[in-house]
Amino acid sequence: MPSLHIILTTSFIITLVILISPVFTSILYKSLNPNWHTHHSKNAVKMAFFTSLLPLFLHLHTGTELTITNLHSMNIMTFDINTSFKLDHLSITFVPIALYVTWAILVFASWYMKSDPKFNQFFKFLLIFLIAMVTLVTANNMFQLFIGWEGVGIMSFLLIGWWWARADRNTAALQAVLYNRVGDVGLIFALGWMATNLNSWEMQLMFITAKSLDMNAPLIGLILAATGKSAQFGLHPWLPSAMEGPTPVSALLHSSTMVVAGIFLLVRLSPLMQDNPFALTTCLILGALTTLFTTICALTQNDIKKIIAFSTSSQLGLMMVTIGLNQPYLAFLHICTHAFFKAMLFLSSGVIIHALNNEQDIRKMGGLHYLIPTTTSWLTIGSLALMGTPFLAGFFSKDAIIVALNNSYLNAWALALTLLATSLTAAYSLRMIFFVNMNFPRFPALSPINENIKSITNPLKRLAWGTILAGLLMTCAVLPPKPPMLSMPPYIKLTALVITILGLTIALELALFTNKQRPYMPKQYFYFSTMLGYYPTIMHRFFPYTFLKLSQTIATMTIDQTWLEKTGPKTITSLNLSLATTTSNIQKGMIKTFLSLFFTTLMIIILLNYY
Amino acid sequence: MTPIQMTFSTMFLLGLMGLTFHRTHLLSALLCLESMMLSLFLATSLWALQLSTINIATVPMLLLAFSACEASSGLALLVATARTHGSDHMQNLNLLQC
Repeated sequence: MPSLHIILTTSFIITLVILISPVFTSILYKSLNPNWHTHHSKNAVKMAFFTSLLPLFLHLHTGTELTITNLHSMNIMTFDINTSFKLDHLSITFVPIALYVTWAILVFASWYMKSDPKFNQFFKFLLIFLIAMVTLVTANNMFQLFIGWEGVGIMSFLLIGWWWARADRNTAALQAVLYNRVGDVGLIFALGWMATNLNSWEMQLMFITAKSLDMNAPLIGLILAATGKSAQFGLHPWLPSAMEGPTPVSALLHSSTMVVAGIFLLVRLSPLMQDNPFALTTCLILGALTTLFTTICALTQNDIKKIIAFSTSSQLGLMMVTIGLNQPYLAFLHICTHAFFKAMLFLSSGVIIHALNNEQDIRKMGGLHYLIPTTTSWLTIGSLALMGTPFLAGFFSKDAIIVALNNSYLNAWALALTLLATSLTAAYSLRMIFFVNMNFPRFPALSPINENIKSITNPLKRLAWGTILAGLLMTCAVLPPKPPMLSMPPYIKLTALVITILGLTIALELALFTNKQRPYMPKQYFYFSTMLGYYPTIMHRFFPYTFLKLSQTIATMTIDQTWLEKTGPKTITSLNLSLATTTSNIQKGMIKTFLSLFFTTLMIIILLNYY
Repeated sequence: MTPIQMTFSTMFLLGLMGLTFHRTHLLSALLCLESMMLSLFLATSLWALQLSTINIATVPMLLLAFSACEASSGLALLVATARTHGSDHMQNLNLLQC
């Protein structure tokens, strides 16, 4: 097929232009129809999705990969910065998936945010976020990646704090920005190290020149960046707090696209990491700790969105574990399949919340399977995919990860934690489904339960098709770059399935106890899980207070008051004042007496000299 | 000591006593200052002549020049005192005393 690269280039540029055009037209003119921006954005994303399918199919058919380098942005002696787009397997596969999920979410949001006075602006923000994400994913040099990185961070802040009149929302948005910033420090450090040591920010150049160098320092910086953006342990509290934002925001940002940016960075730069055992072990242990910790926290949450947020966090930990196993392709596969079922889970929970008149507590839901059967079916399908049910989307990636983990010679402790987290995933998913779908209703009778709206059913149907088929399609269509693990004893192969079923049954047994009267048990065991491991309680007060107090002491007391006031002007003033006061108090102004004394003294001395 | 030496010393001492023991007028103090200068002038010029030492022959001229400056500054002070205090009475100059 001739001129493949022109087709790819053109399609990609058209996709970008389609995405950017609603933003620009909204600046240039205002239409009379109040909903114009909604239609405009939805159609733009739909068209962009179909346009981006063309590079995807070409890539699947012929294996074409492409790098576009154009505008020469700046040039500092021997250091060039260009705008270059890299359309390799990762970005060509990810962009259509992101656009598909965003299309579904935008259609859903046109129903969910209908009563909001500024929902044109909401769509604009979502679109700008999407553009930043596409920039991040298709970046071929670190500068463009950084632009996309910061862009998604800022849009996340703006979108989480959408209903900014509530103090909790503002705190959550601020938390997101601060924790992301701490991660950005790592990224900036890595950028600076690469600029000075590798003399380039282009990915191809970096991969070649980094072969012989000791890459510990920038890799730790990159892992810190991933920790901040992807909510690994240590910088994780912002993700559950980010659930204060509207449900479409949670579905787009904090499940499918933004939080995987950190993992995507590590996948993109995996050739730098594959020979460095220190960085790989760090990823492994960090990911295992994250996944277990957040799974434990998810077990006792009562807010449906927080349960899903914690499950996102634990899946991100699982992706980090995969990178630590030196299997970046499996991590990428999990990113893609996770996008589908997590977005579907969030959107279903959005429908449920709206149907019960903004009730988010699962203790006040129940028996919804008889009232909104399609939505609860999607919730169930999504949860089953999350657990890794065979042949749904989650199975192909999650099972492959667990199998690779079991067959590796790496850290057994990380393995144990991940397996435990997998079974607990089943437990909290079951808890969520049990409280929402099953038993009898626990909400007031007059609730606006309605799911006959096209704007809900169509996008969720599309996402459900994606959840069921995406794993199969992706595994069959592409040969993985590393050979998969295929030969092992059957009990190793079935480990993931067995522990999932184990977790499921135990959770079901425990859940069935809730209908019966049990003797009162002490609750202290739950405090660790309910208080999220006491991590926010300790960290959010102590460190900021210490640092702010220290900086106040240094800036105000030491520099301003001491060096600039007391040692300079005030000392001179007080010294001179005391001297002048003393001197002028002594002077009495009796000139005659002074002169007479002078004469007398003179005479005495002269006479003494002569005699 | 020789009569000339006694004359000069006495003239100087008398001028000094006049400077320190004046009662009312600042002008009398300045006049005594001038007489001290005069005695010193005569003394140094006779010293150069009597002992035939040429090295100190310029001293009287220098003394005269500096004394002229000093007298002019003294007179300026007198005029300033007269401007601010109305007269040159010494008792008006004790402004620091409460």
